[in-house]
Amino acid sequence: MAENSARDRILADIRAALRTTPADKPPPPAAIARPSFSDNDRFRAFVQRLEAVAGTWEEVAKAADVPKAVAAYAAQHELEKQVAVAPALAHLDWDAAGLKIDTQAPAPARQLGLTEAVCAVAETGTLVLSSSADHPTTLNFLPEYHLVVMHKDSLVTHLEDAWQLMRQHHQVWPRTVNLVTGPSRTADVEQTIQLGAHGPRSLHVLIVA
Amino acid sequence: MTKRFQLRVEKALNDEHLGKALGHARDGFVVKRQNAIDAFPEFEQCREQAAKIRAHTLAHLDDYLLQYVEKVEALGGQVHWAPTAADARQIILDICAAEKAKVVTKGKSMVSEEVGLNPALEEAGYELVETDLGEYIIQLAHEPPSHIIAPAVHKTREQITELFHQHHQALGYTEKVTSIPGLVNEARQVLRQQFLSADVGITGANFLIAENGAGVIVTNEGNGDLTMSLPRVHIAITGIEKIVPTLDDVSVLLRVLGRSATGQSMTSYTTFFAGPRRDEDADGPEAFHVVLVDNGRSQMLADPEFHDMLRCIRCGACLNHCPVYGSIGGHAYGWVYPGPMGSILTARYQGLDHEPDLPNACTLNGHCAEVCPVKIPLSELMRGLRRHQNAQGMQARPARWGLGLWAALAQRPRLYRMISRIAAGTMARAGKQGVLRSWPLAGGWFAGGRDLPKPQGKTFMDVWKKRNG
Repeated sequence: MAENSARDRILADIRAALRTTPADKPPPPAAIARPSFSDNDRFRAFVQRLEAVAGTWEEVAKAADVPKAVAAYAAQHELEKQVAVAPALAHLDWDAAGLKIDTQAPAPARQLGLTEAVCAVAETGTLVLSSSADHPTTLNFLPEYHLVVMHKDSLVTHLEDAWQLMRQHHQVWPRTVNLVTGPSRTADVEQTIQLGAHGPRSLHVLIVA
Repeated sequence: MTKRFQLRVEKALNDEHLGKALGHARDGFVVKRQNAIDAFPEFEQCREQAAKIRAHTLAHLDDYLLQYVEKVEALGGQVHWAPTAADARQIILDICAAEKAKVVTKGKSMVSEEVGLNPALEEAGYELVETDLGEYIIQLAHEPPSHIIAPAVHKTREQITELFHQHHQALGYTEKVTSIPGLVNEARQVLRQQFLSADVGITGANFLIAENGAGVIVTNEGNGDLTMSLPRVHIAITGIEKIVPTLDDVSVLLRVLGRSATGQSMTSYTTFFAGPRRDEDADGPEAFHVVLVDNGRSQMLADPEFHDMLRCIRCGACLNHCPVYGSIGGHAYGWVYPGPMGSILTARYQGLDHEPDLPNACTLNGHCAEVCPVKIPLSELMRGLRRHQNAQGMQARPARWGLGLWAALAQRPRLYRMISRIAAGTMARAGKQGVLRSWPLAGGWFAGGRDLPKPQGKTFMDVWKKRNG
């Protein structure tokens, strides 16, 4: 079937269907229903929810301290000193921290991958990451240990606030926007949650003040 | 009852593995959902809005579809329209052929099950790999999914151990793995290579957003993301009813979807994809296709009695709370979609005579409608199907006669009272120890192997009269 005729057929069927239903079309709801908590509690709410989904976090004073924090994390978990890093973070002083970095995408098989969030959402403990030249999307999934740099002032309250930010920043919506809430998991064997299905086993957030 | 349905039900009820697996699942899902909702006071308000958003979108489905299509095409994505299941299969076969694909990876997609995509791809010679752990397990077992969000929910750990041992030996995994972490790990290792070597990745979509041309997948494992970002080509296949106007609307739906499905306020990965990778992007597919499947949906939209069913966001809560599903499992339902939502979809998409037992494999307890996050009146729809069956003379003869007899009596109150008085008296004398195992004049078949509580010997009307002097 030619593409156009298939399209026309489906649209004609939908329009015929809509003519048979009552004229008073339901309007969209006016307000948005969402969980409420005060803005003062935003940070506490975020880290609480992040912990609830088996995510971990630490505060880092400034961006320049990120390589040191990554090196400490790698040492603590006995990981290799060669790590996959989003090009956006390649300019940091990795040599001083004693780490070698890969920035190509898709990342080679490295145990640890480091990416950077556009913003984070307190409502659900979620990180928002978006694909671009400097931010490969596959780096969020290939390594076993996923570390994410998040800027404390990018924390928003609700999902809708994140969309507002995204709309401001992107004239054109990116190819991929990943909402990451904890490490990967599956309950397909006996409904028992097991972390580290096909994606990372651990998610660690470096919160830059 | 048709013979084939009866056989499937008997097989399910006698399957110890299945009983064990379903018990695990039911308790888990129900408790997790309840906990999530207890922790979210705005849930009911959210549910109200979710239902409104879906109803509004469906009432303007053509406009929102066209908005979405325009946005996707502007981003360089290709849109395909599939009026029927055969069209959907052909579209995807053509794309795979044009791309000279060898290995095709697949994320979880119920619509792909609905259109029979897997057998078509396998017959055409592609190496097809299901990557969701549950889907992978049932692919190895050559079985269809038995649950819309937990496809292998009917499999016990022992069965998975055997399956992996049988299929992974050739890959060098000679040890039998029995622990849950061990099994998940083995699948992770086996599938990792497939993700990296695939030419085409196929996923479903939970939502398509008119505002920006993005599709959404709601997942936990990360396999969907690897499936859509590593291969050269990403194909998303989904139903035309999955459209949502804006990102803000999606937020409301996400708030009820995860909580209703698995008790999660947000799944590990909620991923938005729009068109192919941009020229400057570090990674992502070079080509993006979306296949919009009708396959009976526009017909259902035209049906004022059943069009609410199109609001369904495939969360699985109605399955998890259904005592019938919990006893017989998904395979007994005979088509892709099981449980309450499945009984209705099967009747509407496949025809009422395809599985005539489904509308009656229901206790009308109403729990499914109570938990539905988009407020689909499932019990009412089920009753509607029964009415249609009755009108078309499709019900079994004893049931038709019985109903006819009861209707005749119910319209003659005096006769009804007299007969019920006699029946209550007779039955009270017939039973032993407060239960009835067989009925006077009818033997044991009517009670169906159950113990019926014995009547007290007086009718309610008599007791009421006496009490009110």
